[in-house]
Amino acid sequence: MSRHLAPEELLLDYSSGALSHAPSLAVAVHLALVPEARRTVELLDAVGGALLENECAALPDDCGLERAMARLDSVACEPPALPSARRPGFEWAPTPLASYIRPGSGWRRILGKFDEIRLEVPGDAYRASLVRLEPGHSLPEHKHSGYEYTVCLQGGYTDATGSYGVGDFAVGPGAERHEPIADPGEPCIALIIVETPIVLTGPWRRWLNPLVSRHII
Amino acid sequence: MLSAQESAELIEAIAARQDRAAFASLFRHFAPRVKGFIMRGGADAEAAQEVAQEALMIVWRKAATFDRARASAATWIFTIARNKRIDLLRRAARPVDAEDWLMVYAPESENADKSILAGQTYDRAHHLLEGLSEDQLSVIRKAFFEDKSHSVIAAELQLPLGTVKSRIRLALGRLRDALKKEQS
Repeated sequence: MSRHLAPEELLLDYSSGALSHAPSLAVAVHLALVPEARRTVELLDAVGGALLENECAALPDDCGLERAMARLDSVACEPPALPSARRPGFEWAPTPLASYIRPGSGWRRILGKFDEIRLEVPGDAYRASLVRLEPGHSLPEHKHSGYEYTVCLQGGYTDATGSYGVGDFAVGPGAERHEPIADPGEPCIALIIVETPIVLTGPWRRWLNPLVSRHII
Repeated sequence: MLSAQESAELIEAIAARQDRAAFASLFRHFAPRVKGFIMRGGADAEAAQEVAQEALMIVWRKAATFDRARASAATWIFTIARNKRIDLLRRAARPVDAEDWLMVYAPESENADKSILAGQTYDRAHHLLEGLSEDQLSVIRKAFFEDKSHSVIAAELQLPLGTVKSRIRLALGRLRDALKKEQS
């Protein structure tokens, strides 16, 4: 199966720093799992490094060297950080995700169909969740007014656009409806970042959409 | 001027023995570059200097996480400055702090993920940039200097989104080809 990589223009937005927080989290998780995408970001970061190195340093300016030297006494050099062990019960969560899962948080059953852990991301332009689907089960059919970024963390799922395995990245272009179904095997766990608002399109939409918009479900 | 190797040695000297003279040399080289880089995005001199100061303090604090086999000094410092720009000028945060970047993306098994961009290759990236067309370079420069997303760049240049995306892809393709050629 060929990998689903994040689009390169999104990786450029990530490397340049222009991508906002919640989608950056999706990209960071993807990079932690997929070496090929990581190499593209390393290349882009190197381009940033080259542009920095080439920056003309003709400013007749010491940029506050004295102040910086004076600050060194109160700033310790830190020992190298060690990769943190994965949390029990959350072994599928790569490092960038770990700090977003609050201690004590657990799966919550939504609409009797899937489990969710809501993640807190700054701002209200995006909704970030971890979603767990039993094999053969699907998410409620829905459409978005904006972008949706999905990274598969365990198991796999299939929708009209293809099959996705661990590390794979999907970016939904908005208006189209889709209905992802979990593949056979272990339950599918995915990080889903959705630009708000989200609109359900299934049979119960009239009752459910007001709850979605009020963040009740 | 510092060579890439000298810059790497200075960071390693800070990590090994908190070498203040090494820090001063690095600061003289990189702080004005960070400041100039940030000012290209429209920040005023004072704000840009603040980003440079804070970025170089991170270099001091986190020198031990630097790994010359994975990134050049300039690349590492670029990622730190980029995050400081987000912190200080946009008052936002980023999921992965620059200082943790090397650790977070450390290969999980040794040699399984040897970067095609070993440290020595990184510092040649600026020669590689010379191989890009003016159209491609203008998109890349806007992205890095002005901190703009590809969709904002498309709007500003009055180009269809697809044109900007294909320039980005072509630019990356050229950079990869040039790297491969250098290595063979």
